[in-house]
Amino acid sequence: MNVIPRWLRRTISAMLVGAATLPAFAAETLNVYSIWPENWARPMFEEFEKATGVKVNFVRFSSGEALARVIAEKNNPRVDVLFGGPVETFAAGISEGVFEPYKPPSAAKLPPRFRQADGQWTAIADDPLVFMTNNKFLKDNNLAAPASWSDLLAPAYKNSLQMADARTSGTAVTRIFSVLEVNGRDEGKAFAYMKQLRPNVQLYTKSGGGGTLPVGLGQAGGGIFFIVDALDTKAKGYDVTISFPKEGIGTAAEAIALIKGAKNPELGKKLIDWATSPAMQNLFAKYKINFVPAHPDVAVEPSLAAVLKGAKIFAIDADYAGANRKRIVDRWVAEVLNQ
Amino acid sequence: MNATAARPAFGRDPAVTAAVIVLWLLLALFVVYPLAMLFVRIVVDKGALDLSGIVKILTDRHQVRAFWNSLLLAFLVGIAGTLIGFLFAFTAARTRLPRAALTLLDASVLLPLVSPPFTTAIAMIFSFGPRGLITYDLLGIKGVTVYGLTSTLCSEVLTYFPIAYLTLRPILAAIDSNVEGMAFSLGASRWRVFRTVTLPLAVPGLANAFLLLFAASLADFATPLILGGNQFPVLPTQAFLQITGMFDLRGGAALSLVLLVPAMIVFLLQRYWVSRRYYVTITGKGAGQTPFDSVSPWVRRALLTACVATVVVVVYFYALLFYASIVVAFGANHALTLQHYRVIFTEGLKAIRDTLIIAGFAMPLGGLYGVLLGYLVTKKQFVGRRTMEVVSMVNYALPGTIVGIAYLIAFNDPPIELTGTALVIIACYVFRYGPTGIRATVALLSQIDRSIEEASQGLGAGSGTTFRRVTLPLIMPAFFAGLGVVFIRSMTAISATIFLVSISWTLITVKILENMTELALGPAAAFSVLVVAIVFVVIGAVGWLLRSFRAPGAARVTSLLGG
Repeated sequence: MNVIPRWLRRTISAMLVGAATLPAFAAETLNVYSIWPENWARPMFEEFEKATGVKVNFVRFSSGEALARVIAEKNNPRVDVLFGGPVETFAAGISEGVFEPYKPPSAAKLPPRFRQADGQWTAIADDPLVFMTNNKFLKDNNLAAPASWSDLLAPAYKNSLQMADARTSGTAVTRIFSVLEVNGRDEGKAFAYMKQLRPNVQLYTKSGGGGTLPVGLGQAGGGIFFIVDALDTKAKGYDVTISFPKEGIGTAAEAIALIKGAKNPELGKKLIDWATSPAMQNLFAKYKINFVPAHPDVAVEPSLAAVLKGAKIFAIDADYAGANRKRIVDRWVAEVLNQ
Repeated sequence: MNATAARPAFGRDPAVTAAVIVLWLLLALFVVYPLAMLFVRIVVDKGALDLSGIVKILTDRHQVRAFWNSLLLAFLVGIAGTLIGFLFAFTAARTRLPRAALTLLDASVLLPLVSPPFTTAIAMIFSFGPRGLITYDLLGIKGVTVYGLTSTLCSEVLTYFPIAYLTLRPILAAIDSNVEGMAFSLGASRWRVFRTVTLPLAVPGLANAFLLLFAASLADFATPLILGGNQFPVLPTQAFLQITGMFDLRGGAALSLVLLVPAMIVFLLQRYWVSRRYYVTITGKGAGQTPFDSVSPWVRRALLTACVATVVVVVYFYALLFYASIVVAFGANHALTLQHYRVIFTEGLKAIRDTLIIAGFAMPLGGLYGVLLGYLVTKKQFVGRRTMEVVSMVNYALPGTIVGIAYLIAFNDPPIELTGTALVIIACYVFRYGPTGIRATVALLSQIDRSIEEASQGLGAGSGTTFRRVTLPLIMPAFFAGLGVVFIRSMTAISATIFLVSISWTLITVKILENMTELALGPAAAFSVLVVAIVFVVIGAVGWLLRSFRAPGAARVTSLLGG
């Protein structure tokens, strides 16, 4: 058809040529799916390039999307490393057989909960849960920031809390196991508490951080989130308070893993070595990344340490959680969510 | 459809045969093949046929409830969206608005179509939530629940009614007002003319608009994801969660495939219903259009009021969006800044460039695909004609997540390795959003008398020439409607392409989603504003092109899109 003018045809053919020649990578290039948001992943990878000369190409996905892609690409992997994201995601990846075991030098120094026994993944950071409440909401209702799990049961919170849905979010699973721990693993007591809390929950969000913006904007009064998401909300300028329950609250590790069949396994190992060592984790403070470092030799950044001061934080027992997770989540769906 | 003229010679026309073969090859590669690969992945587990998990998830009480919820929502969106779309289309085509008002109407109708999915939902929560700008600050209502059927319905209707408008506008414009004028001069009241002439002639458009809206709502996961809450689960959201939350690709895919059943039933029903009647209004015999005042002044006022009310809501949402893009942190710090725009034009530049290249390719290809396929299945007789029409709707009716996963599975491994290229994203857009153009073409063609084409062929023109010289000018509005929708969707879609973007090719919408997860409302809003601006420039250019293609007897072309 002659309806396409010549200038347009020329542009199109120029674009075609451009598109064909685009993916021209340097020799030392590593491909990564990052679950950490771009504003944290980018500076880390730039520092890695400075330190080693290896350039990292990456795309960012939520944990579920990243793993879904890794699984779908299993026979012909597109990336070498899965970077960041809760251990939960990595546990699911192991059962799909998508990782190549590798134990970085730092692994020996890490406590057992920060490394998978076969080397399928290794932790790069730790992320405790917190209570986050909107200050205006607290003031309007004459409340102090919640300092106990039972504070959240107050009638003033009716229909105004947001927290994650256990079917889709590792944040929620960590939260539910926290409730179990503070109730001495007495499932009867723990579920009685969660059922009591249900009327105060406005929405169970799909992602762990999904409720932070509504709380920041005051559409919701408060919720239970990972500390990185909560501190980020605060840093954006939203008027919120972070507090901890005196009974204690759980924490979850963030991990890194090598993809099975990776096209650049040696470079991938280089990144894993670097990320699990103080070389990367010392940089958290510089880029205002509010994770707690996993490596014992790295000091917690002072302002983060100040927030955490006095907080009672415990690790979720991986064996107990692994063995009971499915059953507990199913029970939560049946008894709490669809109550 | 008027099948009496089915002459065998048509089937042997080499141009038609070639086009049919090419289309079948493309459909096989980009619709059937990915779906088949996905299906195999669902029923085969570790090398053996295994259906137990699938049966369990499909009979689950909550999933069954989600299925009925999906149908209810899709049905309501189809009805309400078609009504509003008709209202706008009728107003635009029949109330003789001044050109400037018409352009304004078109522009505001386009806005919701242009919105990246998450932004409307967020604006909705901000306005109607427990501390909403409207519910709390303005009306003082406390303790409202924004999550559920009502807000999901409102948000989807607002997002999708423009599709109905785009489908109906050319149809109404093409109804020869002489027909209406004759009925009027024979003594019928305006209402009677509307009821017995205009409305019946618009049936193909109405049925197609309903179908498109029904399917779009059935496949939408982003809106219910944010607004559905815990009381109103729908199937596409459940499927998405099954894949990304429970890491159960097979179960999620199985859930989505269920959605094909209602979509196909509605499609076949509307086809059956439309094909039983006769809608030809463009006969080639008509003289010039005689103006006819089809609405009385007070009806005109009522129509305009209703349109303006809808437009006000739309514009309010976008004003909010624009405001969010120029303040430091929406809801916390309202100092003005241009920082967010600086961010998107530095860090986001690659995404902008990639998106434009991809949309630039998808647009003409999608428009051409829609018109060609729509033309062939309506006007030509060939084996598998109906099957082709059904197959062409599949990717549109499936939730985007599933189309994305199916493409990823099918094109990741040899023999056809396309993952990581721009081509896979372009193909996804063309075959997922092209159907709007197909439906618009089908609806418009049922208005055109076959004798016009027969005259051309009778005078010695081949079918290629007839298509180019006679049919094409007549269906130009449908071509541009299809092309416009493909371009807009290429700029705004996310559900399928989140699985297709790669290290080499990324998209603006993915950046928006990324920014939303980082609580960076500012850059997300700035990106959205940029998308709106780009779409308006492009659609404006398309409208200008369209005017130069205007053919006598074809739909009147007065403004932006679809004529």
